[in-house]
Parts: sequence; structure tokens; C-alpha cells
Amino acid sequence: MSVILEVRDVAKYFGGVKALDGVSLSVPEKGLIGLIGPNGSGKTTLFNVITGFYVPDKGSVLFRESNDLVRIDGLNPNEVFKKGIVRTFQIPRLFNSLTVLENLLVTPLGQRGENPLRALFTNSWSTQERELAKKAIELLKTFNMLHYANSKISELSAAHIKMLETIRGLMTPAKLYLLDEPAAGVDYAMAKELFTYVRKLRDEHNLTFFIIEHRLEILMEYVDYVYVLHNGKLLSEGKPQEVISDPKVVEAYIGV
Amino acid sequence: MIGFDVVGFLISWLTLFGIYAILSLTLNLESGTAGITNFGKVVFYGVGAYISATLTTYLILMLNGVDVSETPPYDIRGVILLSELGKKNPLLNIGLLVSSLVIAFVMSGALGYLLTYPILRVGPAFVGFTLLSSGELLRIFLQHYEPVGASKGLMAIPTPFEWVADSRVREAAYLGLVLGLLALTYVVTHKLVNSPLGRTLRALRDDEIAALCLGKHVPRIKATVLFIGSGFAGIAGVLLSYYLTSVNPNMFVPAVTFNVWAMIILGGFGNLRGSLLGAAVITFVDRILTFVTPQLGITIISPDYLRWVVVGLLIVVVLLVNPRGILPEKPIKTPALDVMWEELRGESK
Repeated sequence: MSVILEVRDVAKYFGGVKALDGVSLSVPEKGLIGLIGPNGSGKTTLFNVITGFYVPDKGSVLFRESNDLVRIDGLNPNEVFKKGIVRTFQIPRLFNSLTVLENLLVTPLGQRGENPLRALFTNSWSTQERELAKKAIELLKTFNMLHYANSKISELSAAHIKMLETIRGLMTPAKLYLLDEPAAGVDYAMAKELFTYVRKLRDEHNLTFFIIEHRLEILMEYVDYVYVLHNGKLLSEGKPQEVISDPKVVEAYIGV
Repeated sequence: MIGFDVVGFLISWLTLFGIYAILSLTLNLESGTAGITNFGKVVFYGVGAYISATLTTYLILMLNGVDVSETPPYDIRGVILLSELGKKNPLLNIGLLVSSLVIAFVMSGALGYLLTYPILRVGPAFVGFTLLSSGELLRIFLQHYEPVGASKGLMAIPTPFEWVADSRVREAAYLGLVLGLLALTYVVTHKLVNSPLGRTLRALRDDEIAALCLGKHVPRIKATVLFIGSGFAGIAGVLLSYYLTSVNPNMFVPAVTFNVWAMIILGGFGNLRGSLLGAAVITFVDRILTFVTPQLGITIISPDYLRWVVVGLLIVVVLLVNPRGILPEKPIKTPALDVMWEELRGESK
């Protein structure tokens, strides 16, 4: 399978702290790949480098654009999104004064009504707006959230908030999803449901997922491949079963 | 009350209301909807006022064959000439009004874009302080810039309706112009708020990082909003200069900006009708105090101070009752809502 994202020897230092110290990894298309590691191992920093929040001090990040891998490190977060990468955050970032439906409608790029001159003439954007609204409604139906369409974010459960943050990416032609601890703060049964949805999305929409998780045991049965970070370096990688029995991983987690 | 001129009061209040409401509507778009801390509204207001004052006084003198290098408009002879020449040519007056409005919109808008685009990335507090200090810089510059009259400013600016003989008709015609431009501002801001752009602006206000991650070019969008808001502030400045027929640097102190902030806080952050209401209430307090205080013979406290006391008290009381202002923000109305309701109704059947 071809590679959609490649991280080559990436390093990111904060003063004396080596948050990432020469990390290389790759994510295959339509993969469901895990990224685990103890607290402070550099998982979120890696996501921040990939999505343009940090410029790496060393190394490069490449992303598939038709048949080529092109460098995306150094781009701004909004440009990275336009390439087709959506990310979610450890603490979900939704727009709290907007409704669930509006949170989905904000996402699509190239909305005519976002141009201030066209915004003045409702006719010039209302057709597109209706189409986008229909698409958003379909999405909410698929994920059993239609009855929340007109609700404020504060009325949703933690799991629904995480779900909404993920599915708003489906309003765009994005290909790669970076999920930062989607199951944090969600109970075990709900976390499993969430990952079942992720797998369904991968299968039905041909998407790729790269998922940070703190607790390996939840992720185990869903992912194809796992990378383990420790102190900014890649400690181990492989199939979930192999990784979990790797003595180095056990040591890093238990801290012996 | 003896000698209370009701019509005169109404005209003066509504004109001032119209001018301030243009400021409060656009400040509400910038700060209420888009979350930009614009503490420099007065910059663009002042630029607009000075553009029309300068353009009108200089051009009227020059087109009447006066040598402005000898008799500049800020000179006493210039002021006398202006009051004579100002009413000679109605077409010229109207032409100057229109060109002032267009130039003020473009110049103030461009200034709003250029002042903020570079600093929007560094956070809301810096935007606020940069704009606040820009206002003071502009004021101090004007105080020392001779061609616009330095600290004396420009006086006897011929108004667009100077040629109308009856002063009441003249004032009423001017009120019509102000209210017409206010209506235009309302329609524009209302359309912008209830559009995908308005939705995106609220999203930026709620969470800039998340908006950036969804591909929104945050600084450009905000600077564009400041172009629009500042352009209209320039128009309000033009209207002010013709209304008062004079401009001077001390009219454009930071307190003007905070007066407009008081209007949107009082009326309701993010609610355009609230801005109209806030502007109406505060300008009413201002006018009524100016009209009534001299008649009551109160001399120990000037209406200027009393105004701040009353406005402060009003804000405290309103925010105690409703922290979001008199009229809270309403949901955005776009055709997407119709699609949703059709679907939800179909679902419940």
C-alpha cells in the first residue's frame, strides 16, 4: 500500500528539552495507525509539527498529493488543512456559540458566502448553502446525531463532542485524520464504540487515521500498526500484539 | 418646561444617533461577532472626518479662485471666505459630499486593513493596544500638522445643504442623509452576520486555533472585517464633520472609542439591533443632558461629567440584570436553517 504521510528524521527542541529527537515513521493509505507513549513522550508535539503549528528544527514531513510525496513542514496550519489533513485535539475544540449543524457548516472550504461581497447577495450563495446543509444533515443521520442538529455544543455528551470534532472533517475532501486521544475522558464502552465508528469511516470513506492514545489496551484490537514514542524517540513499532510484548515498551510504561 | 425646542432636540438627537449607530453597528461586527478587540475605532472616524473637512474646505476655496497658499482655510480670512463661498454652488457641495464619502470609506478601510494585518497574529490584547495607541498618534500628529489647522482644526466647513436657506429644512435634509447611510450600514452588517462569513467570524471568535486547523486564513479574514468596519467608521466621520461644521484634534480622544464600546456592551454583544438600541440610549442621555442642564440652572456639575456617570450606572445596572446586554446574540439565519427544519419535521412525523 502506498504511503500517505511520511515523517523523516524530525526533531523539535524547546530550549534544552528534546521533545522530538529524530523521529521517522510512515503512515500507509487507508491505514489505522496508532501512536502511543507515556506522558511527555512527544506524541502531541509530533502532531503539532505535522499540522504546521511547529516548524521542525530538523527533518521533514511529506504528504501524498496525487502520485507524489510533497513537503508540508513549514506550511501554516490552514494550508496543511487544505492539503487534506484534519486533526482533533486532546481537549476538543469546537465552536461553542454555534449549533452542531453550524459547526459542520463552518468546515467546508471555498464557500461562496464567505466572500464579503458575495455575502451581501444571499442568492449568490444560498444554493451552495442548501447543498452543504443537506450533506451535514446526512452526516448527522449516519452518526445518529440528527436530533442534536440545532443544539449548542454545551448540550452534548463528551463522546458526542469527540465524534462531532472528527466528523466535521467529513464535510471536506480530507484524506488523513490525526486524532489526539479521541478516547480520553470517555468510558471504556463508549471508547470502543468510538473506535468502531473510526474503523467504519476508514472502510466506507477510504480514509486514513493516525491516532494518539495513552492507553494501548483500548486501541489494540482496532489498529493495524503501532508506533511507540519515548522521550522524543521511536522506541518500538509493529503489530499491536508484537508491541505490547516488547520488553522495552513494557519498561517505558511501567518505568522500571 | 419653558422654551424646550422639541423638534430641534429630535433632529439633533437623531443625527447624533445616526452617526454613532454607524460606529456601533460596525464595532459590533468587528468585536461582537468576530472577536477583534478594536480599541481604535476613533482612528478611522477621525480619518474620515479630516478627509471630508480638508477636501471640502480646500476645494471650495481653490475652485473659487482663492490662493490657498496665501489664504488657507484655517486662517481667519479663509474662514470668512468659506462662509460666503460655501452656499454658492449646490452641485459642488453635493459633489464634495459624495467624493468625501467614497474617499473616506476607501482610505479608512485601507488603513484599518494595513494597521491590523501584521499584528492580528499576536493576540487580541496587542491588537487592542496597537489600535488605541494609533489613535493617540493620529491625534498628536493632527495637533501639529499646520495644513489641517493644527490644534485649532478646520472651521466653517460648508455642509452639503448649505445652499438651503431655511435652517430647519437644512437640518432635516441632513438628518435624512445620515439615516439613509445608517440604513445602508445596517443592511450591510445584517447581511454579513447572517451569511457563511458571519458563521466563520463567530467560529474565529470562539476558537481561533480550531478555525486555523479548518483552513481559515484567520488574519486575512479579520483584516477584511476591519476594512469594512473602518470604512464605515470613515463614513461616520464624514457625517460628523459636516454636522458640526468643524473638526479639531481634541474631538478624537480614546473616550470616543469607549463610548461606542459602551453602546455595544449595553445593547448586546453580537446583536445588531442591540447596537442601535445602545447608540440610541447613550446619545439620548448625552443630548438630553446638554439640552436640559442649562435650563435647570445647574452649574456645579457640567453635563459632560454627568453623562459619564449616567452611562456608567446604566451599564452596571443592565449587566447585573443580563450579562449579555439588553438584547443577546441571536442564531445566524441562513437557508441551512430551512433545510434543517424540513428534515427535523419530517423526522418527527
